[in-house]
Amino acid sequence: MVQEHHSLRGLAAGLTAALLLSACSLLAPHPSTSQPPTPQTSSPQPQGSSPQPSQSPSPSPPAPHAPPPARENHLSAATRSLVAQARTQVAHGDLPAASSTLDRALRIEPNNPLLWIELGRLRLAESDAHQAEGCGRKALALASGDRGTQAQAGRLLADALRAQGRNQEARDVESQPFMNSSP
Amino acid sequence: MARSKPHRLRNLLVVLAVAIVALTAMGAIWIVYLDRVVTRDFQGRLWSVPARVYAEPLDLYAGAPVTADDLEEELRRLHYRSGDPTAGPGVYRRHGGDFDLHARRVRFVDEIREPELVSIRAGSDSIIGLRHADGTELPVFRLDPLLVGNVFPVHGEDRIVLSPGDVPPLLRLGVKAVEDRRFDEHHGVDPYGILRALWADLRAGRVIQGGSTLTQQLVKNYFLSDEQTIGRKATEAVMALRLEAHFSKDDILVAYLNEVYLGQDGARAIHGFGLGSEYFFAKPLAELDVGELALLIGLVKGPSYYDPRKHADRARARRNVVLQELADARLIDAAAAKRAAAEPLGLRPPGGSYVPAYLDLVRRHLKRDYAEADLAAAGLAVYTTLNPRAQAAAEHSLTRHLTRLDAASRVRDAHLEGAVIVADPNSGDVVAVVGGRAVGAEGFNRALDARRPIGSLVKPAVYLAALETGRYNAATMLDDAPITLKLSDGSTWAPQNYTHEIYGRVPMARALAESMNLATVRLGLDVGLPRVADTLVSLGLETRPTLNPSLLLGTVEMTPLEVVQVYTTLANGGFRARLRAVQAVLDEQGRPLKSFKVQVEAAAPPAAVYQLDRMLTLVTARGTGRGASARLPPGTIVAGKTGTSSDTRDSWFAGFTGTYLAVVWVGYDDNRPTGLTGAAGALPVWADAIASVKSASFQPVPPELVEDRWIGFGDGLETTAACSADAVAVAVPAGISLPGKPGCASSPTPSLTDKIKAWFKNTIH
Repeated sequence: MVQEHHSLRGLAAGLTAALLLSACSLLAPHPSTSQPPTPQTSSPQPQGSSPQPSQSPSPSPPAPHAPPPARENHLSAATRSLVAQARTQVAHGDLPAASSTLDRALRIEPNNPLLWIELGRLRLAESDAHQAEGCGRKALALASGDRGTQAQAGRLLADALRAQGRNQEARDVESQPFMNSSP
Repeated sequence: MARSKPHRLRNLLVVLAVAIVALTAMGAIWIVYLDRVVTRDFQGRLWSVPARVYAEPLDLYAGAPVTADDLEEELRRLHYRSGDPTAGPGVYRRHGGDFDLHARRVRFVDEIREPELVSIRAGSDSIIGLRHADGTELPVFRLDPLLVGNVFPVHGEDRIVLSPGDVPPLLRLGVKAVEDRRFDEHHGVDPYGILRALWADLRAGRVIQGGSTLTQQLVKNYFLSDEQTIGRKATEAVMALRLEAHFSKDDILVAYLNEVYLGQDGARAIHGFGLGSEYFFAKPLAELDVGELALLIGLVKGPSYYDPRKHADRARARRNVVLQELADARLIDAAAAKRAAAEPLGLRPPGGSYVPAYLDLVRRHLKRDYAEADLAAAGLAVYTTLNPRAQAAAEHSLTRHLTRLDAASRVRDAHLEGAVIVADPNSGDVVAVVGGRAVGAEGFNRALDARRPIGSLVKPAVYLAALETGRYNAATMLDDAPITLKLSDGSTWAPQNYTHEIYGRVPMARALAESMNLATVRLGLDVGLPRVADTLVSLGLETRPTLNPSLLLGTVEMTPLEVVQVYTTLANGGFRARLRAVQAVLDEQGRPLKSFKVQVEAAAPPAAVYQLDRMLTLVTARGTGRGASARLPPGTIVAGKTGTSSDTRDSWFAGFTGTYLAVVWVGYDDNRPTGLTGAAGALPVWADAIASVKSASFQPVPPELVEDRWIGFGDGLETTAACSADAVAVAVPAGISLPGKPGCASSPTPSLTDKIKAWFKNTIH
């Protein structure tokens, strides 16, 4: 009984956090800029011996087709400044420098889909649609649970596919449900 | 008779004249030949400036996992010295966790940073914040890229070549004052110098002075052997004269400064003042003080006799003689000479950042990815992905454990060997390479070239192939029961478990965690060998393995580097990142030759890889890799797999955190059995290396349509953490039904709202 009590309390706390997060995302459609660097790794693991992914509030399965737990990806102060620097370098036509700058950002936050989207856009600018596609797919995998970022990643992927003449695959991506989210 | 005498004389004169003409002609041809040798080779040497190789610079930002002590160690590695930072670049001051740093001018891949004053606050586990000199916030700041070597991509010599602008004026003048006072006047050979030397030798009754000019010394080093014959001396003199005729004094002096032999570091000859400065003082030449420069200049006379590491007293005396000569030549004032003469030698401790195994990979990737003609250009800068901290941690862990394992072994006539590669799986960046226990020496690079059977390291590919079919999940029960196969060559094959036990029905997660051979062979045969081979290839194995059932237990041979490529895809959510050691190469003007990009390609379905990766965390939590946790910070989640080849000839561990992937191999060079499993040999090396580099837990983003469920590790039945002591969390396709443990599984699952209601009810009452 006591055990169950604890797990339920944890559940409620998780749910509250999830509600707050989704409320945040409703209130702030544009990514806010003062978030912790890696939101996806923010919840502590219960025990080293029984790892549990951070997103699901309970080991029990959610109802089928329930919306995945809301998450929102942000850039940290460091990666934000590097992205700004990369964009400046692109504006000056120095694509190789921009590429190295984004490499730095990715070393800091390798699992941030926003950085992979940024890198994919750069690859498109370099006319490397194949690599852009890889970045788009990687971003999409990392954006799981973040509709807004999924939509951005999906648009990158569709553009990269189209640039390779794979229009049908691009349309398939664009017909995914997450593509309806506003940017 | 009367006519014949003058006739004979005339004949004699003619013969003599012909001989003189012939000799002159031969001499002229000889001189022309030497002239051509000198111009061609000197020109060639002048332009074959090696590429400078840099490590990945350390980025500092709020939250970066760098402590105050780490930061100071890094600054020392970069040859920053403690002092007053306002005095000039290359100096820092530390107060507790607060650092003021005067960063040097350096060229990064993407920009040149001018000298800059910054303040850094470091805490006990990470960087707290950074500020500019004017107090404004600095979001991110790069430390200097560490120079780790110089390679001629073609022949692989190690040199730090100075261009004329890099030579400190005092060095230029000092070398002339000490070694060749009339350098600016003579034409390559100095008759006065020779006479003076001869006079000194005659008075002493033995050879005490050479009388060679700098030009002659350079010619000797460049073109000639060490023998002391008249013929060689003549050749040397002619070549010196021709060199002077073709090249400026400054070219010759700078070439001399780059060529001169200054000492020996094991098998590595220290040539040139640039490398000498690094080797003896761990500082760039420009930062040497008067005494340090004087010591280097003094070494020219006898690098082994005056070796400051072996003969400190001789070296000190020689330095002080040079200081006196510099003062006599009015290059420094007498007071400064006296002060410098009282200073200690200031040598850096020996050992350090020489990383031949890593440079080996750099050379191969340069050859792989660049045109040879591009690499021949002078003054290239190669920016690598080397992380000196990870490199040091991997070297230290390997040598320490091999020494321990050797001491515990009964084998006395051979030493265990090993290899470690550390990579960033997200980018494919190779950050450390250890090619054997003699870490500072060139030689057989086991990390790149030792091709060995991988044993159970192959199993994740078998399980991934199974998950990809959709017919299996972590809770699927497998049959760990004896099996005998008839092979195509007519022989039979009856594999066994390492423990020689038979486990019966086990959930897939446990079969992998405990590396059960029988269950794996049955699984692999059910999935099909071609599928398993396909999976290995899509993960990154370059040659498709032979379809033999023993493939399922890892008879396939791979190098540690190839294992890294395959496991990178597992650590990177199914995305294959092409391994690279070279980020970019810049030419002398700072233009990129060809920039390397992070190459990612979708290689395996992310959902299947996620399910597999979660099973691999059980290897270290409950299975054959559980020895790792005692060596890692508490609560760190890592995924990995042990591997042991037949008769324990090879001990492997491949594993990853959220930050790094590392692969370790331990074995004997002559392939004899080690008596070590992957867990006993390679795993401790892996765990200690990973523990000493700051590394985040492995917590991948869960894909949609995959969810966590609790199952019994022994029986595979769905349960709760509270209900079963051996409950483990596994990732399975969302919504699938799992057989439940009676009285435990909450099936049908109550909705979230039901649970909330129940919780409120419980707390209110």
